[in-house]
Amino acid sequence: MFNAKFKATIVTVLLFIGLVGLCSVRAMGGPQSSAAQAEPAKETWQKEFDDVCSKTQDAMTFSQKELTDLIRRCDALQPQIEKLDESRKKVYMGRLRKCRGLYVYVLDAKRNEKK
Amino acid sequence: MNKKIFIALPLILVFCGSAPSQTGVKKKRPLPYEYGRVIIDNYSDKANLAPVVFEHWIHRSMFTCRVCHVDVGFAMKAGATGITAADNARGYYCGTCHNGKNVVDGKTVFQACSRKVNLEDEKRCVRCHSYGQKVASDFDFFKFSQPLPKERFGNGLDWEKSEELGLIKPASFLEGVSSSKGNAFVVQKDFALNPKVEGMPDIIFSHKKHTVWNGCELCHPDIFMGVKRGTVKYSMVDIS
Repeated sequence: MFNAKFKATIVTVLLFIGLVGLCSVRAMGGPQSSAAQAEPAKETWQKEFDDVCSKTQDAMTFSQKELTDLIRRCDALQPQIEKLDESRKKVYMGRLRKCRGLYVYVLDAKRNEKK
Repeated sequence: MNKKIFIALPLILVFCGSAPSQTGVKKKRPLPYEYGRVIIDNYSDKANLAPVVFEHWIHRSMFTCRVCHVDVGFAMKAGATGITAADNARGYYCGTCHNGKNVVDGKTVFQACSRKVNLEDEKRCVRCHSYGQKVASDFDFFKFSQPLPKERFGNGLDWEKSEELGLIKPASFLEGVSSSKGNAFVVQKDFALNPKVEGMPDIIFSHKKHTVWNGCELCHPDIFMGVKRGTVKYSMVDIS
């Protein structure tokens, strides 16, 4: 009887310690698989790329300030894309160049209009 | 005297015959099914493979220009993309769609390139690496073009009208590849350009027609870089 109660307490304590340990490791950003670490980084630049370059069709409706901000975001993406593997780098650098080029072009056109 | 004429006459004939070919070289107008065809030979030779024959009209009928030339990343100039087998095998360029998984009209799209090649794969390679070889195609231009409205230039087809009539439905978005959905937002008006040749009517440029398929960044600033209309001159030679 005593033995069974003792065993149950030990199991509960061990489970509690394990749970606390697991939570603290995650909170500190401890060991994770390399795939799990790579995934959010990939998604971050891709999401930012999609967000910046999905607006090209509306480029003419943006103010000069908005266009300048989009160009700045394109510039910030460039070093991240340069770190990608050869194929992705080739494709996305080309896409980024086109997207940035359009925003610069429209910004120039708007500045030219004001002159 | 006679001897001199015998020597001079063939020389004159040779000179006269070769002169036009040196000065006025007439470019052969491609046949409707050849128009847009690209022979890609960046690395094929090194791999002991025939150059790739890319049939533009097949892809043109399925996708808008923007999907391939902006989202997938194919350059507008033949051979300028520098596609490698590794790019395709990783799922880029041709491999974006030709991945052995995509299903179009109930058929699985064949895989473009793979890292390891066996005997069976070689049959697949020649589907694209077909320059100078007799390879049967799944697509027949004449059968395809029969119901479509005709035009004078290019593939001899009125692609715009074909889409209006619902005879073709080019996709403007590729899941996981395209950044934006839908067609271009038209804010620029159509305009007229004055040609240099006297008596030639104005060139009417329609932004509406172009942006629907191309978006904006396909043309600006790579092809049309001037922000002020008429500042950058284009000649017929530049266009051809």
